[in-house]
Amino acid sequence: MVKVYSITQCPWCDKVKKYLKSKNVAFEEHNIEENEADREACYKLTGDLVVPITTVNDKDYVLSFDKEKLDAMLGL
Amino acid sequence: MGIYDFTVKTSKGEEKSLSDYKGKVLLIVNTASKCGFTPQFKELQDLYMKYKDKGLEILGFPCNQFAEQDPGTNEEVQQFCRLNYGVTFQIFEKGDVRDETAQPLFKYLVSQKGFEGFDANHPITEKLVAALKENFPHFLEGDDIKWNFTKFLIDREGNVVARFEPTTVPSAIAADIEKLL
Repeated sequence: MVKVYSITQCPWCDKVKKYLKSKNVAFEEHNIEENEADREACYKLTGDLVVPITTVNDKDYVLSFDKEKLDAMLGL
Repeated sequence: MGIYDFTVKTSKGEEKSLSDYKGKVLLIVNTASKCGFTPQFKELQDLYMKYKDKGLEILGFPCNQFAEQDPGTNEEVQQFCRLNYGVTFQIFEKGDVRDETAQPLFKYLVSQKGFEGFDANHPITEKLVAALKENFPHFLEGDDIKWNFTKFLIDREGNVVARFEPTTVPSAIAADIEKLL
């Protein structure tokens, strides 16, 4: 399952979510502002707390709304 | 009047007395917004993760008197936001930190530790000074906060022991923090 780490009021997170929806990519949203376990997981994955982070396998991830990199990772 | 006599407001609008932090080492920082180009947030976060269990608390005070930017980076474009409040280290209500409208806490801090110049070796110092001269020349005068990410280090007894300008990155003050822990 594709995961998107986000925070509240983050225009770039909204863009990623909209883009994934437009491509019919199913994803789970994990708000790292509201959930401590998600925050720890995001920090463990990326060594930082910036969002949006999109990951397919909890190993490879794309930071920010970067269409090219998202397409490559998701095979779009 | 000491640091523990001040009361500030959390990002949720609740009153918080700084006496709640008695016995902790404090780093008080005026921060920028969460979606600006603000690399110092990452280093502050790293410091907090590293030292929170030894008694460090970082208190961030967002302020929009400085165009919500890290110094000298107006031209940078970035497309992400940083988690920076409420949950990791403590972020308080947005408010002024300089001039007449400054929060009392910051008037106190700058009275304890005045401005002693920027770090001449930092790559953005020149840009920052040029930008200040052009846009906010009076910011360069006196002891008030010059820009985002001015840092005040407080020891476990509540003494303001050091002030670091925006041109000193958080990782560079780790040794000063360790001495107090």
